[in-house]
Amino acid sequence: MNVDIYAMLLLIVVAWPLLLAIPALHSRLPWPHHLAIMPAVVLMILPGEASLELPWLFFGTGFAIDGDNQWILGMSVAIWLMAATIAKNIKHDFATPFFLLTLAGNLGVILAADLVGFFVFSAFMGYGFYGLLIYKGDAEVWRAGRLYLIFLVLADLALFEALLLAAFTMQNLRFEEVRHVMAEGSSSQFYIWMVLIGFAFKTGIWPVHLWLSAAFRSVSQLTMLLLGGVPVTMGLFGVVRWLPIGEHVYYVLGTAIQMLGVVAMLYVVLRLLMPSPVKLLPAWASTAVSGLFIAALGTGLSHPVVWHQYEHLIYPFIAILGIFLAVFGFAIGRLPETRRSPALVASRAEAFNLWVERWIGTVRSWAKDRLLGFQSHQRASQRQVVKQYQRILNWQKPGGVGVGWSTRISLFVLLGLALAWLAG
Amino acid sequence: MNGNTWLPLLVIASSLLPGLIIFGLAENRVRLRIALNLVGAIVKLVLVGWMLWGTSQGLHYEMRLVLLPGLELVLRAGPLSLLFVSLSAVLWLVTTVYAIGYLEGSPYRSRFFGFFSLCVTATVGVALAGNLITFLVFYELLTLATYPLVVHRGTEAARRAGQTYLIYTVLGGALLLLGTVWLYTLTGTLEFTPQGFLSEVGEEHHFALIIIFVLLIAGFGVKAALVPLHGWLPQAMVAPAPVSALLHAVAVVKAGAFGIVRVVYDVFGMEFASGLGVTGPLAWLAAITIIYGSMRALFQDDLKRRLAYSTVSQVSYIILGVAIAGPIAAIGGVVHLVHQGLMKITLFFCAGNLAETLGIHKVSEMNGVGRRMPWTMAAFTVGAFGMIGAPPVAGFISKWYLGLGALEAGQGWVIIVLAGSSLLNAAYFLPILHRAWFREPPDAWPEEHDFGRKETALMLLLPPVVTALMALAAGLLASAPFSPLEWAKLIAVREFYQP
Repeated sequence: MNVDIYAMLLLIVVAWPLLLAIPALHSRLPWPHHLAIMPAVVLMILPGEASLELPWLFFGTGFAIDGDNQWILGMSVAIWLMAATIAKNIKHDFATPFFLLTLAGNLGVILAADLVGFFVFSAFMGYGFYGLLIYKGDAEVWRAGRLYLIFLVLADLALFEALLLAAFTMQNLRFEEVRHVMAEGSSSQFYIWMVLIGFAFKTGIWPVHLWLSAAFRSVSQLTMLLLGGVPVTMGLFGVVRWLPIGEHVYYVLGTAIQMLGVVAMLYVVLRLLMPSPVKLLPAWASTAVSGLFIAALGTGLSHPVVWHQYEHLIYPFIAILGIFLAVFGFAIGRLPETRRSPALVASRAEAFNLWVERWIGTVRSWAKDRLLGFQSHQRASQRQVVKQYQRILNWQKPGGVGVGWSTRISLFVLLGLALAWLAG
Repeated sequence: MNGNTWLPLLVIASSLLPGLIIFGLAENRVRLRIALNLVGAIVKLVLVGWMLWGTSQGLHYEMRLVLLPGLELVLRAGPLSLLFVSLSAVLWLVTTVYAIGYLEGSPYRSRFFGFFSLCVTATVGVALAGNLITFLVFYELLTLATYPLVVHRGTEAARRAGQTYLIYTVLGGALLLLGTVWLYTLTGTLEFTPQGFLSEVGEEHHFALIIIFVLLIAGFGVKAALVPLHGWLPQAMVAPAPVSALLHAVAVVKAGAFGIVRVVYDVFGMEFASGLGVTGPLAWLAAITIIYGSMRALFQDDLKRRLAYSTVSQVSYIILGVAIAGPIAAIGGVVHLVHQGLMKITLFFCAGNLAETLGIHKVSEMNGVGRRMPWTMAAFTVGAFGMIGAPPVAGFISKWYLGLGALEAGQGWVIIVLAGSSLLNAAYFLPILHRAWFREPPDAWPEEHDFGRKETALMLLLPPVVTALMALAAGLLASAPFSPLEWAKLIAVREFYQP
């Protein structure tokens, strides 16, 4: 295929859905949602790599497709095709411009060759997604939308600071250049923190995940599908694109980020112990997975050698993750809204105790068979575990079960982290 | 005298002559008045385009007339003046179209359009002024031409607002005159010169120069709505929407900000002003105004008042860019002169459309208005996102250069101000957008006018859509040749790098 046409296709992939977002245009076309994705489908199928420089756009930017972002493009095309099929049956014509705007932003983010392009299209995607998030229009959705919007503005501010810092340090803001230069600059740690904070807000990484759980609680099936596949995955993709991972050893910073990721996963485990609506399960899955991802990034920052060994897996991993979160969200979205999760803990302490006792009984019989010598010690420590759980349950009682829990646990863990930091 | 000499005067005459003729027209000569307005605006645009082309080819446009012995009226088309004059010419044409639609059937249209043309004449004079005395003459003419526009409605509130406006601006003018005369007695010249004309003044006069700087900034600060001299601006909101658009985006506020740019760059010179230690306090004053304006905007339910406080905040970006004292920040400040104009005029046109079509004056009345007036609200959305500084609208480009310039000048605190301002802008604009697009519309609008199948009259709809597209283009195509950004870069090079 002609290289120029291939390069032009990069522009069309982004510009076409943007153009279709104009209501006067898409309302005259059949299947506008599907039509908008078609150039991306063609680009995904085509083999090879291509890039396009657009010196007149913003401060000079460009698009590129290579082996890395092709994975992400494939994932996004799959998710958006599913979403388009669902959206076709939605009566809210009003949601279509936001659908197309978000799609254009999403594709722009994937194909952006530099920080500015990424930032601009992530703004398109972010604000477009707000429309998708709240088009259903009830009070709970608006609350989630408000949270999302606040977090989005904060995210953009943090990323803008990072962007300014990068632009101040270097002329060329292409991803590969940024990695090299920002790793060595005197302000690299501040840059890394700004990037992490920005994408944490955008992605809903613990401890700023509140918008995500609020959104999953109340949105439509279409948005459930897109929540995991678009803002969450693109946030993770962005972190990898923006951070100078594998270039320099940031031992303390990397370890701190690792800790953050581990704590995020622990948080999800704790959160799963509380009964909650089944629609929140994708939110917890997303928080856990992003925690895992953050821990991996921390490892990359503190041990670049390890990062280089597994670097080639990161984009396929994000792609699989995106598909998983989207499908999981979609599947959960099909369940009745009133259904509650198969809680690991019942709402009353007695029931919980029974459950723990049963579990302990199983372990005890296993231990009796194999570890007779340690039986008495086992029993004592099991009793200790039960006591700890009971203590947590007692602490939980006055507040009831709800979103407030997220805040409480987060604050508790953050306090622990702060104390550990001070002690260290 | 050749064509190059006459061209600046012709640019001024292109609005002055139609204005003077319009004053004499009877109310029922509607077509002639419209024709005069539009022909004047188009001729001005063509002449400015000619000057732009000529300047890019290296031609020099200057005209001198002796006012008093030793004092000349100088009109000169430099890069900075052309930036402002282009903005005025383009937005005047758009505002004229809007005003024609807005005032259809209203009384006293000849008076209105006469002063309207005078107002633009004065603005273009301010833009092309080659020395401080010429600037002062047109600056005062601007005050006199805008007063009748502010009180045009003739209501008690309008008269009160006009009175306040006059008190503020006349006092500002007096300070300006005092500073100018003092400066003249000290230096014997008032000629705008790249990098200033004061570097040769002896050190014993430096304290006097600081006082003069304060007088000039206070004089211009009144129109630029610098805190605490901003009080007239929110009150002037009683004026008709085209006047508000003109005040906020093209003429009055911009003339004040442009005056400050002139004082810092072409009177004192960036380096000399920094040496005197006056740019630091100016930057702080601008920062305080930015935050104060945004804070006040947050609590206004009246849409035009909210936009007015937003102007108080946004115009100070220009002053902040200039006061940071670095080339990149200068680009941000100067380019915001154009960007803010495009975005704010869009917002005022939209506010006017809402008032004229549905009788909406308050934010709390805007529920679901996006479904009733989608084009107007789409334009409003572009303007609002631009004000927040979200890409790809022009405001993003301004904030980028201001932030980068602050880092370059080692003034990191400016980043915090910019971030805070963006946050506040988001806090007072996003709820409006949410209301307009996502809330259910009411059963009846406060005062709905019927425009058939159209959302409003075409003359009212086209201007905001055009200016919104321009604001979008200024952001998207920032690096294209002849973009406002490229022009601002040229000005910064002239100020900072040319010997």
